[in-house]
Amino acid sequence: MVKRFCLYSFLVVMILIAGCEAQGDYQGLEFSPQMYHSVPYEPLTQVTDREAGEWTSSLDDGVGEFYNSNPNNPYAMNVRIPPANTVRRNSDHYNPSAEALTDVYLPYRIPADSLEYAARTLKNPLEVSDEVVADGQALYASFCYPCHGGAGKGDGPVGVVYKGVPAFNVGRYRDLTEGHVFHVITYGQGRMGAYGSQVSQEERWKITRYVQTLQQQP
Amino acid sequence: MVKKLRNFKDLSHITIQFLLASILLSGVFSTVQAQTDTTSAPADAGAATAAADNGIPTTPEAISEGENLFSSNCAVCHAIDAQIVGPALQGVTERRPLPWLINFIKNSQKVIQSGDEYAVNLYNQYNKTMMPSFAFSDDQITSILAYVQSASSQAAAPGQAAAGDTSATAQTGGTAGQDAGISSSYLTIILIGLVIILVLILLVLILIVSVMTRFLKQREDLDEADQELMGQRTNFKKIVTSMPFIGIVTFIFMAIVVKVAIDGLYSVGVQQGYMPKQPIAFSHQLHAGQYEIQCQYCHTGVMKSKSANIPAANVCMNCHQQIKPESPEIQKIYAAIDFDPETQTYGNNKKPIEWVRVHNLPDLAYFNHAQHVNVGGLECQTCHGPIQEMPVVYQYSSLTMGWCINCHRETEVNASDNAYYDKLLELHEAANPKEPMTVESIGGLECSKCHY
Repeated sequence: MVKRFCLYSFLVVMILIAGCEAQGDYQGLEFSPQMYHSVPYEPLTQVTDREAGEWTSSLDDGVGEFYNSNPNNPYAMNVRIPPANTVRRNSDHYNPSAEALTDVYLPYRIPADSLEYAARTLKNPLEVSDEVVADGQALYASFCYPCHGGAGKGDGPVGVVYKGVPAFNVGRYRDLTEGHVFHVITYGQGRMGAYGSQVSQEERWKITRYVQTLQQQP
Repeated sequence: MVKKLRNFKDLSHITIQFLLASILLSGVFSTVQAQTDTTSAPADAGAATAAADNGIPTTPEAISEGENLFSSNCAVCHAIDAQIVGPALQGVTERRPLPWLINFIKNSQKVIQSGDEYAVNLYNQYNKTMMPSFAFSDDQITSILAYVQSASSQAAAPGQAAAGDTSATAQTGGTAGQDAGISSSYLTIILIGLVIILVLILLVLILIVSVMTRFLKQREDLDEADQELMGQRTNFKKIVTSMPFIGIVTFIFMAIVVKVAIDGLYSVGVQQGYMPKQPIAFSHQLHAGQYEIQCQYCHTGVMKSKSANIPAANVCMNCHQQIKPESPEIQKIYAAIDFDPETQTYGNNKKPIEWVRVHNLPDLAYFNHAQHVNVGGLECQTCHGPIQEMPVVYQYSSLTMGWCINCHRETEVNASDNAYYDKLLELHEAANPKEPMTVESIGGLECSKCHY
């Protein structure tokens, strides 16, 4: 009798264990949940259920072990938009070789509607070198290629669907200044979106260098 | 049986009739289509010749010069057969007189300010978007218009033919689809029928056998050999109940159960295969695969920070302000950022899109994307698998410690063009010149590298 009970309970346990695998919406069984879930605010995670993981909670704080959200923020998000006009330390890209303040990028303050002024006055702070152009080419491949195409002819896989993406090396586009290119990457122009949030100032200047080589194509 | 067969026949009759009817129908449609095509073609030709007398050249040189000028100056905002920023230009030379067109292209603001009714309406219709002034000569403008005119008439003729073709193929495609549907359901009916017949035959055979044995059992004049033959059926029972048979079956069963259970045990704490449903059905297959958008385009943190980051909705809007605004999935983005695609304006009722995190590395382990992608030069696919083929993203790798350690043992450090590693390389060459400098050899297996 005992033997038979042992056998059946063994079978049941084995079959239950087999159901631990993650699949579809089921995350699977966690081995040590207390060590898996972050106690500090985790920027890319949000668990708003206050009771989540109460069964394994070791603290007396009244919320479950897995609860991770900040009720003081809008929508109880863990990340927060920085206050307006905040300036990030060390520019938007840490530059270890910066010796003078001029090597540091201050926030770009020319407003979106001043394209002509930017085109006339802005100068690329980066030197003219193959290295900068190569960096620019790599960034161009990530951020610009889908629409503008490999050679800047407006024939990227998205550009074909989008229609009307200009070629860099024809007509008036050939003569656009570096300031114009930089400003347009930052704020967008016409149907092109603004890329200021995706690429930093230094990266935008690198891309500008590469775009200039595409403008000079025959 | 007989009744069934008759039903079967009826069915086949009906399908054959349906097939014939659909073939006839598609034939009628295509002839009607052909007739409309032939009637529309001469009308187009007439329009083209009539438009030749409005002061716009029709020479091939002018057209090709115009094409060059158009593609380098106008194509950003205008297309022949589609509205982009400005209106579609098909037939513009018939809509407006030549002097008006020349004035508008040279300085559109001046024409609008002069109070020209058509120009003012146009300006208002396109959300007061100003067309820049172009310093073209009159000849250049007429050659651009020559190109527009020839492209319009070309777009009109094949456009209609193509429309006719697509509708015709849609018709035939529709009937073909119906045919396929009928034949597949027809097949299942046949299969089910066959199975039923086979089961019936089996039942009948079993009945016959039992009747025969009963009959034979009643007879007394059987010899011993025949008696033995009749008693053979009990042998099966003996085999099934014999110890070796039960032993083998139990062993196989237990082995499978234990194997499944051990696999299950190893999957505790491993979320490989986790594929949650996302609030918006974003397809990496479409964006990263078909449209070749690099991972970094959206996951901008991958080169700079610990996390690759989830893009904000403004990255979606770089394209989707224009592309597919009618899709219900895109409208979920619009709803989240309170964007009105009709007026192209944003409201204040914004709320975050609650994406579901797929890769949940345990909090006890530290991982840094920038370190691996920017410095190490790893491809995203090394860990995330063929993302560009995934309509719905799932966790491809196991992300277990053994998996990390194994890679750290095998991977050579990407030390080229990186002065940080110069000293380490020197030391490594001095100590162990034969083997490559792997992540392990610079301390990649230390506990505190990832756990602290």
